[in-house]
Amino acid sequence: MLAGQYDVTPEDREGLRHSLGLDQPLPLQFVAWLWQIAHLDFGKSFYFNRPVLDLITERIPNSLQISMLALLITVLVGVPLGVVAALRRGRIEDHAIRVLSVVGHAIPQFWLGLIFVLTLGVQARFFPIGSMNAVGVDCGLCWDRFWHLVGPVTVISIAGIANLPRILRTEVLEVISQDYVRTARSKGLRERSVIAAHILRNALIPVVTLFGAILLVFFNGSLIIERVFNWPGLGRLTFDAAVTKDYPVVQASFLISSVLLILSYLLRDIAYAWVDPRVKVR
Amino acid sequence: MAADAVAATVGSLRPAEARRASAGLWSDALWRLRHDPTTLIALAVIVAMVAVAIAADLLAENFFHKGFGEQSILDNYTKPSGAQPWLWLGTDELGRSQVVRLLYGARVSLFIGSFGALTAFAIGLTMGLTAGYFRGRWDDVVVWVVTTLNSIPILYLLLIVGVLFRLQPLPFALLLGGLGWLGIANYARGQTISLREREYVLAARTVGCAPGRLMLRHLFPNILPLMIVLTMIEVGQLILQESAISFIGFGIQPPTPSWGNMLTNAAQYLGKAPYLIYPPGIAVFVTVLCLYLVGDGLRDALDPRLKSSR
Repeated sequence: MLAGQYDVTPEDREGLRHSLGLDQPLPLQFVAWLWQIAHLDFGKSFYFNRPVLDLITERIPNSLQISMLALLITVLVGVPLGVVAALRRGRIEDHAIRVLSVVGHAIPQFWLGLIFVLTLGVQARFFPIGSMNAVGVDCGLCWDRFWHLVGPVTVISIAGIANLPRILRTEVLEVISQDYVRTARSKGLRERSVIAAHILRNALIPVVTLFGAILLVFFNGSLIIERVFNWPGLGRLTFDAAVTKDYPVVQASFLISSVLLILSYLLRDIAYAWVDPRVKVR
Repeated sequence: MAADAVAATVGSLRPAEARRASAGLWSDALWRLRHDPTTLIALAVIVAMVAVAIAADLLAENFFHKGFGEQSILDNYTKPSGAQPWLWLGTDELGRSQVVRLLYGARVSLFIGSFGALTAFAIGLTMGLTAGYFRGRWDDVVVWVVTTLNSIPILYLLLIVGVLFRLQPLPFALLLGGLGWLGIANYARGQTISLREREYVLAARTVGCAPGRLMLRHLFPNILPLMIVLTMIEVGQLILQESAISFIGFGIQPPTPSWGNMLTNAAQYLGKAPYLIYPPGIAVFVTVLCLYLVGDGLRDALDPRLKSSR
């Protein structure tokens, strides 16, 4: 940026190109980069002048706070909604839940975040408008942090809640017509334990695969939501790095978020084999 | 099981429909569509939006008398008012008419959504159909590409592309479509795999039908109906993606207005001009909602059996 205003001697320019490895042919640069990655060396950030890996590992826990809480809320709210939709099929509850999920899919997440910030933050001054802690407060597990989490977690959960009940409803309807459910009912079990022990346990199995899609939503969402709520997580770091053209950070966080996503897919598959003994790992 | 399904289908048919003689898939679908008010309303909204987007130049010039980039600093932060048409939704920090910018934003969003979805449809159809028909090595390659693309957080990738290039609407649409065909390909592949074992495919092959013709004339028409539905929903998803990436500043660049980048500025003046936040978001929401509703309605119209199990 400053190159236009200050004289940069050709020697300096060459020196910089050499130190960044830009005088090498592209394939060689790529191999060198891969070699570094294999040694977990992601280079130094242009902007912070610190190792990229440090920057990223500092931010990952912050992002996880949002996505783990959002996952929890998605399950806590989404599973009952899915069961209700199936049990009250065709009634008002079912239609309401269907409308809710279509609306939840169609609403732009970042806009919902903006509306939250505008109405409850700027206008009502009820919730904080961003960041992780109030000024002067520095704590990880306290009321203040929780208060700051409400906005981002709510907005991200809504995307998950739009997904889960729809799929769960189909599964529950599938299970409800099975013979073992009729057996359970006919031996006089209370409806509540039929639902919990016989229907839900079996209906939830295929839903585990859905977590892949939900996690993808969370990953994409974190990039946007952390920007809206000014949350210092991985998404925010990536965004800032993109703005300052801090290429090593952008590259590394893209790579690491992909790896994290693949890892969570792997966890999902392991969980699937764990909850459903019929699935054998070949 | 089969009897249950038939009973459910008959049960879900309205009396008038049971009395009507079936007249082929498309004609039946049209008939059902005409009796589905929600879908019709959603369709009307979309048609209106497309019409307004196409007529954006005409309306801006003759009705609002303002261009989308026309600034009048003296009128900045004017609250929405009915005094003059161009002030209907107020003005932004540079005194540009919010209404006019919304019109042009519709143009960008609808173009990117529809063109990107068409790209996704073309790629997804080709990949899914050929993979499902030929199986073997090619199928492995397609499945590999799909799983790989599936494990990339798309927005992060778009961010990188946005850093490196200034995206114009057309390449942006192609890029979004080139990343969004996975669901369509999965569906086409799955359907093809099950359809290729049918007798009529065997019959066609026996009389010497070449693979290309077989896929195009015998398999494609059978998977087309639900592909249209998937593409419709894809349009909505791409509009959402475009608005998100433009919002964080790496999609459509100003001065071209898009619903996403209008919100970028609006987010900076939350205290001063809160009314700027609502219109672009509502525009995205209503468009995407209507697209989903039309997709849903089309699905019901094309395959009423799905309605009872859904």
